[in-house]
Amino acid sequence: MTTQASQANFRTCPTTGLQVHRPAELLITVNAVAAVVFLTVGGILALLLALTRWELVHLLPADLFYRFLTAHGITMLIFWIVFFEVAGLYFGATVLLNARLVTPRLGWAAFALMMIGALLTEVMVFTGQADVMFTAYIPLKAHPLFYLGYILFAVGALVAVYLFFASVVVAKQERRHTGSLPLVTYGLVVAGIIATFTLICGAITFIPAFFWSLGILETYDPAAYRLLFWGFGHAAQQINLAAMVAIWYALATLTVGAKPINEKLSRLAFLLYILFINLGAIHHLMVDPGLSVGYKIVNTSYLMYLAVLGSMIHAYSIPAAVEVAQRAKGYTQGLFGWLRRAPWGDPGFAALVVSMVMFGFLGGVTGVIQGMMQLNMMIHNTLRVVGHFHATVVAGTTVAFMGLTYYLIPLIMRRGLISRRLASWQPYVYGSGLLLLIAGMMLSGDIGIPRRSWSIAGGGFSSLSDITLGMVGIGAIVAVVGGGMFVYIAVFSLLFGKDLRKQS
Amino acid sequence: MARGKKKEEEKIHAPGTLVIVFIFLAWFIALYVLQWALLAVNWPIR
Repeated sequence: MTTQASQANFRTCPTTGLQVHRPAELLITVNAVAAVVFLTVGGILALLLALTRWELVHLLPADLFYRFLTAHGITMLIFWIVFFEVAGLYFGATVLLNARLVTPRLGWAAFALMMIGALLTEVMVFTGQADVMFTAYIPLKAHPLFYLGYILFAVGALVAVYLFFASVVVAKQERRHTGSLPLVTYGLVVAGIIATFTLICGAITFIPAFFWSLGILETYDPAAYRLLFWGFGHAAQQINLAAMVAIWYALATLTVGAKPINEKLSRLAFLLYILFINLGAIHHLMVDPGLSVGYKIVNTSYLMYLAVLGSMIHAYSIPAAVEVAQRAKGYTQGLFGWLRRAPWGDPGFAALVVSMVMFGFLGGVTGVIQGMMQLNMMIHNTLRVVGHFHATVVAGTTVAFMGLTYYLIPLIMRRGLISRRLASWQPYVYGSGLLLLIAGMMLSGDIGIPRRSWSIAGGGFSSLSDITLGMVGIGAIVAVVGGGMFVYIAVFSLLFGKDLRKQS
Repeated sequence: MARGKKKEEEKIHAPGTLVIVFIFLAWFIALYVLQWALLAVNWPIR
């Protein structure tokens, strides 16, 4: 009886044949929608900030610049990304395993906690009670509700992660799938493990900050805060990395039918992330006096390179899997016939290529170089750093998430894309804007232009800065057009797209 | 069974990807050298 009742909660996807758990489907949708709302807010702020850094325009006054910079960082790096990752985790634990989400009520409680936390933090920032930047370094002090918002969000996300783990375990117990986990779900498990460390670090960082802002705790050691904060702040980006790579594998399969060329090696590469990637976060503390030089070098060089090895494995195995799949279809002409005949008009494939190329050639390479002690001294606190993480988190992770969304809309939300033609252009428009933006930031950093600075007037910088900061401004305009195209397609498809429910 | 699997693995043929990998490595080396050159200019040893 119970089995029959629970089986009634499933529908069969007419495209993939997979069993979709309806309560999970709803939770995937609300988390993804919340993510897109935060992406929209963060994108508008991005445009205002870029048009302020472009000295010729210099749009915002100083106070609003720093306020919006704080809001932009938190909205994009935490709220947009984590809400979407929770949607991705539920997708990986249920749809990909033909399984149910255990205790969906807990999923709703997690969503409520995350949303309340996010709104609390946003309200405090926008009302000028937390002009402390994304890092909120001590002794900058924000309103207690700012820290409370962070804590609630972290606890909610932690609950969602454990719901994901529980669902994966129950799927195995209920024999909803046999054998090893699918590679995409395996990658998401890795993301979940890194998320657990990250969110616990976040709670350890912000709970004392909360009491310090209330006046209950008299002092909070700034060096200890920085060490703890980067266990949260950078590790959060490593969740992105693992989730993004898992989505790359998913997109390669969905778009050209690629299969991993050596699944064991790909799993090993994911394992390297768990063991080594977070150690690289010490690169944020290169100039901190409390840590020894040896400690910094061992963490940011030797140990981090083992995680880079993982990325190198993925960077070879995914394109190789695409090539093998394309050649199997008969596209064997020359070295790159398989690439010429690839589905470039498929928004999922376009997103996969834009994401992989920009993450690898711009984000990954610059990250390894500037994470090194000596070279870090040259670019520390310049726009070069900002260029690096826009290449990883925006051009890499965000584009990959956008690519997956083009599949989630018809498969999970059961709506047709409002304009497939526009969707096929979107990753290229967004990617080209980002390319200009990132190049502008990196070149600005190379001539010494600082980050987080409202104006560089009177700083004696090279006149080249007029060009490089102009690239930042123009790149941001194009990227925001591309981001707007994505939001339009996502929202209008959900509201007015062809109803595909009749097919199932 | 194992031999069959091995045979299947031998079939993996991705020369285009190998070329892309070498282009990536060349880009990495060029950027790496450039950064050290810039560092030498900015922080000269006198």
